[in-house]
Amino acid sequence: MAAMNDAKMERLPARGWELEVVRCGSGKPLLLLHGFQTVDPRARFVELLGRRRSIVAPSHPGFGLSPRPDGFETIYDLTRLYLDVLDALPDEKITVMGFSFGGWLAAELAVMGSPRIDRLILVDALGIKVSGRETPDILDVFNTAPAEVERRSWHDPARWAPDYNAMADEAIVRRARNWDALCLYGWHPYMHNPRLKDWLPRIAVPTLVVWGSSDGIVAPSYGKAMCDLIPGARFALIDEAGHRPEIERPDAFVDAVTAFLEG
Amino acid sequence: MDAWWQCEIPYPSVPQEVLNAADSVRASLPNRYCDPAIAANLFEEVIDEFLLCDELGLNVLAVEHHAGINSLLGANPLLVGILARQTRKVRILSLGTLVSLRKDPVRIAEEYATADVISRGRLEIGFVKSGGTEMASNNANPVNNIERYWEAIDLITKALTHQDGPFSWEGKHFTHRHVNIWPRPWQLPHPRMWSATGDPETASEVGRRGMVHVLVLRGPEGTRRAFQAHRKARAEAGLPKVTTDNFAYAALVYVGDSDEEGRRVGSQLLWFLNTSLKSAPQYSRFLPGVVPPEMAPSVYRTAPRADAALPANAEKGVTPASQNARRLISITVEQAMEQGILFAGDADGVYRQIMEFHDKVGGFGHLALIGRSGPMTHAESVKGIHNFARDVLPRLRAVKPVTAE
Repeated sequence: MAAMNDAKMERLPARGWELEVVRCGSGKPLLLLHGFQTVDPRARFVELLGRRRSIVAPSHPGFGLSPRPDGFETIYDLTRLYLDVLDALPDEKITVMGFSFGGWLAAELAVMGSPRIDRLILVDALGIKVSGRETPDILDVFNTAPAEVERRSWHDPARWAPDYNAMADEAIVRRARNWDALCLYGWHPYMHNPRLKDWLPRIAVPTLVVWGSSDGIVAPSYGKAMCDLIPGARFALIDEAGHRPEIERPDAFVDAVTAFLEG
Repeated sequence: MDAWWQCEIPYPSVPQEVLNAADSVRASLPNRYCDPAIAANLFEEVIDEFLLCDELGLNVLAVEHHAGINSLLGANPLLVGILARQTRKVRILSLGTLVSLRKDPVRIAEEYATADVISRGRLEIGFVKSGGTEMASNNANPVNNIERYWEAIDLITKALTHQDGPFSWEGKHFTHRHVNIWPRPWQLPHPRMWSATGDPETASEVGRRGMVHVLVLRGPEGTRRAFQAHRKARAEAGLPKVTTDNFAYAALVYVGDSDEEGRRVGSQLLWFLNTSLKSAPQYSRFLPGVVPPEMAPSVYRTAPRADAALPANAEKGVTPASQNARRLISITVEQAMEQGILFAGDADGVYRQIMEFHDKVGGFGHLALIGRSGPMTHAESVKGIHNFARDVLPRLRAVKPVTAE
C-alpha cells in the first residue's frame, strides 16, 4: 500500500553525471544504500524514517534510472562514488544505512573512515566471508531457482514475492536493470570482499546491525558474526521478517533504528 | 561448398524419469548419472566416426559444451589434440574452446598453436560466445561475457601472430605481461578463424573482422538477417565484399539409403533439441544480461499482460539465444525440416533441402553437419557418414564460392 509521504524522485549530481535519488523527510541526514532493489519512495519504512530524518536514497549506477558509465563496474568504483556523495552533501555529519548489497558498500565506506559518517546501520548486509571455503554464507541468487530465491528472501513469500505477470512493464524493466547491475558488481568474488572481514575492526562510529530472523539469503548468525567484528556494535533481530525487514516489518524495523539513533 | 561433420558426444543414457524430474539437464544434473564406462564407449565410437570422416575426405568439427547430457566435450581441446594426431587428411575446426569462460587466453593460444603444428596446418579456430548454463558451470559473469569474448580473441590472435619476443597485455579482463608462445602456429599469419553468432551486433563485428560466420540451427530468417548484418557492416566500414566462403550453417543432417530411412533415423537427432536443451529459468530467461532490460517484460512473464506495449525483440530484431532455445525444445520433425534445422532423407532429398536453404539465406560456403545425437547408434551414424560423403558431398563441392550480394 502506498504511504502518504512527500518522497520525490530527483537527480543527484555525482562525478559529472546524475544519479536517480529518492528524497523525503526532514531532520538530520540519512543516506540509504539500497540492496538488490532500489528504494521504493512509496515504502512505509521510508515514510516512517522521514518523520525523523532527511532521507537521501540514490540508485547505484546501473540500477533504476541511474546511468552507469563505461567501465564503472566494481565495488571500488561504488565506494569512491559514495565518498564523493558524502562529501557533496551539505551536512557535516551523515548517518549511513545500507541494506543487503548496499550494506556491503556501507561497511566498506565505514572501514575507509569517511569523517562525514557519524553512525552506521547495516541491515541484512552482505560483504564478508565467515564460513569455510565449502560453505557459502550467501545464497547464490543467480544460480538458484528464482522460486527458491523468493522463498528464502521473505518470511511470508506468498505476500511479498514479485508477480511479473501482474507487474507493469516499467517496474519489470527497472528490476531487470537492477539484476544486471547487481550481477556485474557482485558476481565475483560472490557478494563479498575476501579482505573486508579483517578490516571491520577499523570501524570507529556507533554501529547497529539489524537482521530479519527468517533471512534465508544470509542467516542471522552471519549478521552476529559481522556485528562481533565491529567494535561496540549492537545487534537487533526483527521477528517475522526475511532478508528485507524494512519491507516486511517496517514499524518494528524503524523502532529498532530509532532506538539506536536516539539512544 | 565444404562440409564439416560433428558430434557433440551427448549422453543419452540418463533415465527419462530422472530427466523429467530435473529442472535442468545441464549444469545441475548430478554427474552420478554419467557412467564413465558408457562415456568411454561413446568417446571411442565417436572418435572412430571422426576417423571415418578423415578416410572419406569429410572435414571434422569439434565443439565444446559443459556439464550436461547434451555433450561430454567440456574439455574440447583434448578432442582437438586427438584429432590433430589421429586424422591425416581433413581439416579440423574447433568450434571451439569457449574463450570467455577461460581465465587465460594465452593458454588457449598455446593449445591451438600446438594442435596446428601437430596436424601440420590443418586446424581452423572457431569462437563461440557461450551463455546459459555454461555461465554457472564456469563461474563466468554473464553480463560482460561479450567483452571478454572479443578481448580474448584479440589476445589469442596477437599471441598466435607475434614472433618478436615477449609482449605485454594489460587489458580490461585479461592481464599477461610476458607472452611468447612456443610453438608458433604452422599456418601464417594464423589458422583461419570462425565465429558463431546470430545477433546482428556481434554479426557486424564478425563481418568487419572477416571471420567465417557460422549460424547454428537458426532457420532461414535469423540466418539471412545475420549474414546481411555481416555484409552491411563490411560495406559501411569500406571493406571489400566477401564470398559465400565467409558464411557457414550448422544443421542436423542425416542421409539414409531411402528417404524413409533418412527421415526415420535422422529424426533421432531432434533429441538434441527436445531433450538436451531443458534448462532451469535461472540459467535461461532470468540469467542476467540475457536480454536488454527493455525486453525483460516479455521474457520474465509467463503470461502476457493485456496492456503489454513493448513488442518482443523490438530492439534487436531477432530472437535471443534463450528464446531460440525455448522455440527449439518443442519442435517437431516436420517443423524442423520446414525450417532448415533438420536436413534428412535420401541423398537427393538432403542435397535438395540444403540447396533450398542455401538459396533462401543468400548462400554459404560451409555446411556443418550435426550427424549424430541422442539415441542414434554407432552403426546408424557410420551409415549416415558414408551416404553423405559418397552421394551428397561431391555435389556440394561443385557449388563454388561466389561474391555474396
